[in-house]
Amino acid sequence: MIRRKDGAERIKRRSRAFMFVSGMAVFCGCSLWLSGCTNSAEERKPETELESARDIQDGMGLEDTLAVVNFDHELDGYEPLKKEYNFYFTYKMVHPWWDAVALGIEDAAEQYEDAGVTIDYEYLAPESVSAQDQILRLEDAARRNFDVIGVDVADVNVVTPVINRLIEDGQRVMTFSSSDADREDGCRRIAYVGNTHNYEDGAELTEALCGKLGYRGKVAVLVGTRGAPCHEERALGAQDVIAQYRDMEIVETAYDEDSVEKAYEYTQEILEHHRDLSGIICCNMSNPVGAARAVIEAGREEEIVIVGMDHDREALQYLKDGVIYALGVQDCYSIGFNTVQVAVRIADGQLPGEQYPEKTEESTTVIYQNGAAAMLRTLYGELD
Amino acid sequence: MDQLKDKNRNMDKEQRRQTVTYTVWGGLVIAAVLLLTTVWVSGSARTGTDQAVERVSEFYLDELAGRRAQVVSEELKNYTGYMEHALEILEDADLESQETLRRFLGKVETLYDVDKFAMVDENGIVYSENSTVSGLSRYSFLSEELTEPVISTLNLYGAKKQVLLATPVEDISFQGVRIKACFIQLNIARMLSSLTLQTSGSETYYNLYYRNGESLTEDNFGYLTAGNNLLLALKDAKMENESDYDRFADDFLSGRRGQISFTYEEMKEGLCYIPVEGTNWMLTILIRNNVISEQISSISSGMMSRGIIQIFITVFSMLVVFLILIHQSRKNAMILLEQEKEDGNRIRAAYAQIEREQTAMENIQAAMGSGLWSMEFNERAEMISCTWSEVFRNMLGYTEEEDFPNRLESWSDLLHEDDRERVMKEYWGTIKDYSGKKTYNVEYRLLTKNAGWRWFHAAGRLSRREDGSPVTFVGLFMDIDDEKKLEERLERQKIDLEDALAAAQHANRAKTTFLNNMSHDIRTPMNAIIGFTSLAAAHMDNQEQVQDYLGKIATSSNHLLSLINDVLDMSRIESGKVKIEEKETSLPEIMHDLKTIVQADITSRQLEFYIDTADVVNEHVMCDRLRLNQVLLNLLSNAMKFTKPGGIVGVRILQKGTAFEGYASYEFQVKDTGIGMSQEFLEHVFEPFERERTSTVSGIQGTGLGMAITKNIVDMMDGTITVTSEIGKGTTFTVALKFRTCSGPVRQEIIPQLQGLRALVADDDFNTCSSVTKMLSTIGMRPDWTTSGKEAVLRAQLADEQDDEYAAYIIDWLMPDMNGIEVVRRIRSIVGEEKTIIILTAYDWSDIEEEAREAGVTAFCSKPIFLSELRKILESPFTASDEEKNVPEDNACFEGKKILLVEDNELNQEITVEILQEAGFVVDVADDGTVAVEKMQHAKPGQFDLILMDIQMPILNGYEATKQIRAFDDPDLAGIPILAMTANAFEEDRQEALEAGMNGHVAKPIDVPKLLELLREILK
Repeated sequence: MIRRKDGAERIKRRSRAFMFVSGMAVFCGCSLWLSGCTNSAEERKPETELESARDIQDGMGLEDTLAVVNFDHELDGYEPLKKEYNFYFTYKMVHPWWDAVALGIEDAAEQYEDAGVTIDYEYLAPESVSAQDQILRLEDAARRNFDVIGVDVADVNVVTPVINRLIEDGQRVMTFSSSDADREDGCRRIAYVGNTHNYEDGAELTEALCGKLGYRGKVAVLVGTRGAPCHEERALGAQDVIAQYRDMEIVETAYDEDSVEKAYEYTQEILEHHRDLSGIICCNMSNPVGAARAVIEAGREEEIVIVGMDHDREALQYLKDGVIYALGVQDCYSIGFNTVQVAVRIADGQLPGEQYPEKTEESTTVIYQNGAAAMLRTLYGELD
Repeated sequence: MDQLKDKNRNMDKEQRRQTVTYTVWGGLVIAAVLLLTTVWVSGSARTGTDQAVERVSEFYLDELAGRRAQVVSEELKNYTGYMEHALEILEDADLESQETLRRFLGKVETLYDVDKFAMVDENGIVYSENSTVSGLSRYSFLSEELTEPVISTLNLYGAKKQVLLATPVEDISFQGVRIKACFIQLNIARMLSSLTLQTSGSETYYNLYYRNGESLTEDNFGYLTAGNNLLLALKDAKMENESDYDRFADDFLSGRRGQISFTYEEMKEGLCYIPVEGTNWMLTILIRNNVISEQISSISSGMMSRGIIQIFITVFSMLVVFLILIHQSRKNAMILLEQEKEDGNRIRAAYAQIEREQTAMENIQAAMGSGLWSMEFNERAEMISCTWSEVFRNMLGYTEEEDFPNRLESWSDLLHEDDRERVMKEYWGTIKDYSGKKTYNVEYRLLTKNAGWRWFHAAGRLSRREDGSPVTFVGLFMDIDDEKKLEERLERQKIDLEDALAAAQHANRAKTTFLNNMSHDIRTPMNAIIGFTSLAAAHMDNQEQVQDYLGKIATSSNHLLSLINDVLDMSRIESGKVKIEEKETSLPEIMHDLKTIVQADITSRQLEFYIDTADVVNEHVMCDRLRLNQVLLNLLSNAMKFTKPGGIVGVRILQKGTAFEGYASYEFQVKDTGIGMSQEFLEHVFEPFERERTSTVSGIQGTGLGMAITKNIVDMMDGTITVTSEIGKGTTFTVALKFRTCSGPVRQEIIPQLQGLRALVADDDFNTCSSVTKMLSTIGMRPDWTTSGKEAVLRAQLADEQDDEYAAYIIDWLMPDMNGIEVVRRIRSIVGEEKTIIILTAYDWSDIEEEAREAGVTAFCSKPIFLSELRKILESPFTASDEEKNVPEDNACFEGKKILLVEDNELNQEITVEILQEAGFVVDVADDGTVAVEKMQHAKPGQFDLILMDIQMPILNGYEATKQIRAFDDPDLAGIPILAMTANAFEEDRQEALEAGMNGHVAKPIDVPKLLELLREILK
């Protein structure tokens, strides 16, 4: 039921972790040197500050939450060459997270319509994650003559060859959401809009968890879909951070396939197997909900620190109630909005460069209990 | 007395003082009573108003909330209805592809003005106007099967509150997948704003809450912050009754309507809540009671204050009005007195003025000779009196009333018979016109006592009662006889002038038309002549081309000549110069001549031609042969002109048995199968210059005079000419003439040698068969006939087999089924060489004669065949030789013959000399009559064989010159043949030439063959 990473991936991720840890070590070393401290890396109390992810701990008001998710988008002023576009987007699975992305897509399409440009699109996904299903969808879309095909990659190894083939056939393919198939991975997709710092997000949340636990204890890692770059990278970030602390240990890693129920079941099993478990690191949106439910059910919410990703309403409630310690909230709305803008440029034949970046980076903000109420109000209109 | 007056004055003063005192005190008492009652009424009213306002407020709130809730509910129902309607109008074509479905969904969104109208298939795929998305995680209602319409709300990511109205869908599939639902998505804020839930500037607040107290909107609700939970918020409120909150919370959660009053944030408020049907929403209205109470108190105080002020103003106003009324009534009485005096003076002045004017009017009437009359009527419009003034009587010649009593009849009996009805109608019409609009104004004749009938003018007006019935009819009567007669004279003169003008204009138009027509018709051939002459001059070296041009010039010249002839003919006919000269004439000759004349044209135009007779008994009549020929030639040449190649042209002569003894009636029918004429044109066909199409359009030239000339000639011969025609089918002219017979009928008796013998007639024309058959019967033969050549052969065969052979065969040359020659050949092979076989033909048979003789033809007979001709052929022995044919004589040899040409025109000299020299003559020329006479005086006998004499010459004309030559002593010189050669081409010119002693007449322009023929005859 609980599975380990395979060797190749591990080597790859280790090399990334090494680079990250090296960077961190240099940074910490410099800091210690400047402060006259001589603590070793293993003993340090990390003060991570990542440019790409924000961390709001000192109370959070409505203004702050509006910065977490930017609903105030306007089109970038680019004048499309055509009056009608037809896009195809496919993503990992039917899930509220992608519904949030869909809202950004919808609003962008509406703004284009107000400007006299019609954006027709399909935004479809299977009910559960399947790279094979995604390939079929991409191949079907390629036959239907869309201006641009966008994909939130379900499995980078499986889907990348298909993307490359489509590109060779003259299709315009981009990636979006949180899972890129990077050019460095040999993927020839044109551009990407979404989270570019999954590894860092995983690392930051794990760092927060470690701090909360006093840098000791056993933790479990719940990952989402196997092969999904975003989930895997966050998990890798978590592993790399945990690996830094001698008194900390990852006792279990499980893939819930983006299912709350599975996350709940896995957590139940982990709790049962590891009575001394101190924390759970969740790498996607469904993990923290399932984990919190199981923890509450087990009556161990005071013992176990949960960190996780995203803005699930239930998860935010758990955050507000103190069951979850921290959540990394991604700006899904902006991902959707900017995906459409980039797709229009790609459809017009523009390649990334001065006009728009190859990777449009969207933010992730880590919020804590004091920001939960404001976040609930901002995202769901929920009042105290 | 003074004391009494003082006493009275004091009493008056006292009375006035008391009146004033009572008035003042009375006013004050009334004011006080009004004041007290107002204060009392206001106090009671305020208490009652407070209670009433509270009750009304509750009722009002409940009513208001109910209506608003109903509006929201109705709006939601409307949307559900929209979905049902959208499904009804969904067609199969809309489900053909994603594009058609999207187009349909877009139309529905536009039609119902909704944010989104979408369809969902059983896989949870949501189809909308611009997108196709997976909707299972977004729309919770998709997780289960819908059985009825549902209304739910969505609180999407980004706090976008949406209302969803979904309805199940049945029996619709898209791309093989079942559509299970459709839904409308509405933004709540937008939906509610369209319901105007919140009114600005009011102390009344509306909002919608879920039953758990959560707000559906982002609006503030009184002191409640936007979005606050109502149930939680009111926990802090101070309720009017302690149990009110529980009741309120229970009502809210259970969806029951109700009202509570409470104090929140130190403000007393009333809250009414009511469930919205079909949802789990509660519509709430909040009203601030404090504000209402304060406003009612303020209104009550204001009302009381205004009431008191109103009382004072009322009392004061009453006093002022009373005093003003008294003052005004006194003033009015004074004014009335003054007005009465003024009116009396004005009436007297008016009467005086009327008398003066009446006198003046009478004087004027007398001076103008106008007689006044008047009549009075009762209410039933019956006359009760009638008065004729003295002037009136005098104008009619009466002096005494006894002679002309004051009765209506005195006047009406004298009215002229032609005027009486009109005048009496006008008179009674005026009286009975109760509208009063009609006026009496008439002119008529009256019989005066001494001056006979005279014209008078009468005019009058009626004064009427209110109901319109007449009272007095007054009028004047004037003698206008002189003016009227002058008018009549002027009118007659005007008509005469108009007639004269019309005649002049008509003549002018006729002249213009004539000139226009002539200009066109002369210029057309002239243009060709001049043009081709120029061309011929330019191509002298090309003989072939020049010959072609000359041919065209000749054609145009001939046309021009015929035009001139027609015009002159017409002119002469119209001026009466043409006379019908009746001479004994042979109709067969006329018909044969006619055939000969047109034969060449018929052939060149490739027309089929027939000419026949029917029932002609009298072949010799007294008539003007020349004119009859002209008539028939005109008709025939028209028929030929307007019939296309392959068409048929025919002439038939019929004798009618309707003439008196000594006379014979004939019908000459000229038929064609040509282009025909329209019915409109038929009405004008005999008018000069009328052509249905111009020659430019039809390509057929003509003067438009031929038919007019023909008609005139027929008229002169006391005949009639009629025409029937149909466009595209042909035309038939029928000329009916009656002639005196001059030699009795053709011999009708039987030819004994032929009596009882059989004869067979074969002709494809039934009329010919019929006519010839009758002739054969007349001479005693037993004729049979057939219209088929083949049948003729069969009949000959049959007769031979039956031993009852035909003694004679009369066969048409051209029959459609078998050529006449072939028929003869076959018959001859059956009957042998003895029988008579005659070929009947309308054509010149010289070309086929040899072949026909070889085939066995005995004789030829020319159509039309007359009885006399048939008789002549059959009477002679059957072996008789053919008719002698006119063999043209050898051309007389003109070589060496000497001609003196007398001609003043150099061009004519040149042309004539050229023609004559070409013919072999030796020509000498004299350019005037004097020169000719002189040359003849000095000529030796035999020096000249003939003189061609022009008529009009400058010094001595041709007639005089001829007379002088004829007067020579030398008989050889005096007897020289002289031919007039002149442009004076009429018959009378010819006569005059003969009378002057000439031997003949040749008209210019010269017809060379005719000239040579004439010369040949004279020199023979």
